[in-house]
Amino acid sequence: MTSSDRAPIRVALPRGELRTPLAKQLRAVGFVAKGYGDGSRVYRFEVDGLPGVEVRVFADEDVPIQVALGNYDLAICSRTWVDELLVRYRHDSIVPLRSLDLPSEPVVIAGAAGTTLEGLAAGIVRVATEYPNLAHHVLSRLRIPNYRLFEVWAQSEAWPPDDAELAIGPKNDLETEGLTVLAEAHRGGVWLIGNRESLSRRALDAALAPLLSLPLGSQDIGVVTPAPLQLDKGHAAPAPPPERETFRIAVPDGHAQRHTAAALAAAGIEFEGYEEKRADRRPRSSIEGVEVKVMRPQDMPRAVALGGFDLALTGQDWLGVFRSSFPSAPIDQLCDLRRSNYELGAVVPNDLPAETIAEAIAYWRKDDPGRTIRLASEYASLADQYARDKHLGRYRVIPLSGASEGFVPEDAEILIEGTETGETLRANGLRMLDVMMHSTNCAIGHRDRPPGRRGELRDEFVARLRGGADDAE
Amino acid sequence: MSDSANAWRSSGMSELDPEAMRRFRKVESRFLDVTGARGYDEVRTPTIEPLHLYTSAGALSPQLLDRVYSFLDWDGWSGERVVLRPDATVPAARWYAASGNDVARVSYVQPVYRFEPGDADRELWQCGVELFGMPAAEGDAELLTLALELLEALGIENRRVDLAHAGLVRAVLASVGLDTAAQLAAYDRMVAGDESVIDDLTAARPEGAVALRLLSGVDGDSPGYVANLRTALLPLVSGIDQALTDLEGAARALDAAGATYRILPATARNFEYYSGLTFRVTAGGMECITGGRYDGLTESVGGAPAPASGFAAYLLRLADLAQNGGAS
Repeated sequence: MTSSDRAPIRVALPRGELRTPLAKQLRAVGFVAKGYGDGSRVYRFEVDGLPGVEVRVFADEDVPIQVALGNYDLAICSRTWVDELLVRYRHDSIVPLRSLDLPSEPVVIAGAAGTTLEGLAAGIVRVATEYPNLAHHVLSRLRIPNYRLFEVWAQSEAWPPDDAELAIGPKNDLETEGLTVLAEAHRGGVWLIGNRESLSRRALDAALAPLLSLPLGSQDIGVVTPAPLQLDKGHAAPAPPPERETFRIAVPDGHAQRHTAAALAAAGIEFEGYEEKRADRRPRSSIEGVEVKVMRPQDMPRAVALGGFDLALTGQDWLGVFRSSFPSAPIDQLCDLRRSNYELGAVVPNDLPAETIAEAIAYWRKDDPGRTIRLASEYASLADQYARDKHLGRYRVIPLSGASEGFVPEDAEILIEGTETGETLRANGLRMLDVMMHSTNCAIGHRDRPPGRRGELRDEFVARLRGGADDAE
Repeated sequence: MSDSANAWRSSGMSELDPEAMRRFRKVESRFLDVTGARGYDEVRTPTIEPLHLYTSAGALSPQLLDRVYSFLDWDGWSGERVVLRPDATVPAARWYAASGNDVARVSYVQPVYRFEPGDADRELWQCGVELFGMPAAEGDAELLTLALELLEALGIENRRVDLAHAGLVRAVLASVGLDTAAQLAAYDRMVAGDESVIDDLTAARPEGAVALRLLSGVDGDSPGYVANLRTALLPLVSGIDQALTDLEGAARALDAAGATYRILPATARNFEYYSGLTFRVTAGGMECITGGRYDGLTESVGGAPAPASGFAAYLLRLADLAQNGGAS
């Protein structure tokens, strides 16, 4: 028996909507990870009666990369995220093993009612998507000549028709938004997958046997390869869009909503349909010519840089993430709203014998000077910037979509994470070793002040928000 | 190479040591001498290009587009991805489109970048020529002669030219009732190595079976073979007269040069990209030069329609072949 045979068999499972139905099926086949199905914030489980098996919960989209890296031997996740990785990185170490009978959503291409792919393809096609690799795969096979991919964090359906021609995302989300499905990109499915090297070298039967007895799902899954569109060769450059007259402002949903609603209230600004606990996609302003749209704060810096919005209320953290990738993007912070205070930095386990990042690096590399330092983060570009700034040498950034608690020390040396009070970190045996930035929410705008009334409105909104921020302080 | 040395190098990337550089420069010098003597002037194109240059040109198959090094640079917030140059012909066509020239002969020596499996080279040095503004018969003969002269100058023996024709493939696929989109889809399957596509097409369109079987199962080595092909195919497939004339002209030019060649009608590479004759030259069984005609390309990159053709070779492969005279 080799040492790897004695190591635990590591199984990654998804959180989110799959968690409850999957937990039920796992119990039925005798793979009982106690607490997995109850929605608790526990991320590591032992499996009843299988002492050599460990279970870790990840965001669905983060599961395939963990198996590809070899951190996990077996996993269950949506096939869309597996193929999002495999269509770009063909020689990956993921082996799809079995389609499972669990609910899933196809990924489709959708646009505003009345549009066609052939009609749009005559000009530059702006495409918002969480699936850039699948999008490139399907758009290149359709032979769409000239497209721009906006890689968004979520809610691609929020972009068409005014901020993109197409969205590529889960069918139900796009249809609910009123968009028309124009083509299929991926048929969905939930799969049991394995790491190739683990399958070839290790006896995984203790976990593999029950997991392979899960109910078989549809075989009608996978990446769609559409027939090419019939397009005329050679096309005139599209005319630039006319100058927009409407003043457009973006406000966030999710965690940032509460602080933004408070900032607006303090500034005396009201949008009907946007409150602390309510957010319509398009709230209404009583000021004529002002249009409000709700979108993810992560995606606002890009939307502003593209010229789609005159003002957006986001966070300095997301502005920092965007600027670390695109330092020359034409956006500026116009006003610090001074709410949603938190710190963002390098997080390590409490018991790490180091007080500075230099000491931590020396500790990790004391036995192996060439060891790769792994940084896991929802803020991948900031993690990359941190590694460069701190001269980490050989490092690897593991992008996360959430569920980061408990990630160190097993799956990464460093988390780049934000914390408001430090309570969650303490509860998980973690501490912030190095602060990268203090973040509050803020108003951002294009570097070039908009012309005419839009510029005046921007000045007026910023002045009122600044007054409200002074009150907050 | 030790594992510790490889830890400091990206997959598929390697240095050229002094000995390799001497061989590199020798081939480069001969290449520039031979092509320069025929009036080809050297150009160099950017290493980083917008991805849409290649998607707009339709010059690369989706399978090759999957293997490009694409990324977002500082301007990537606009959604515009850039690529490390995966192909040298499209940028050269863009240069020609903007140059206002009528006929242009250009050469280049520069790397292209493509993902390859495992440790295979991903930085591939190419030397090649592009001939713009010269129509089929004359242009094709010039390029075939030039390719053979280059190999002769490098001392690479055991040469053989394989000829095919993209227009012939397209016309035959159309003759079994496939529209442009279906032709591309069928060709995608061929590119992916799916040989069952011929069976599927003949099952669906039995009336075109003879044309498909003749295309995929017969080849030859003389102008007489093209004449036989003409007799067999013309009653079945319309619009192939020019393709057969191109093949016949190329065969005669190679006969005149005393070259060994084969005509393999259905092996046209990059079906979407090329519009006419395509060829590859092997030495000792190893492919060393590939080329063809792509008359639609200049229009796709914003220029006026113009005849265009060219060929390229992997420089390091030529250096290996030159060292042992063409034995594989």
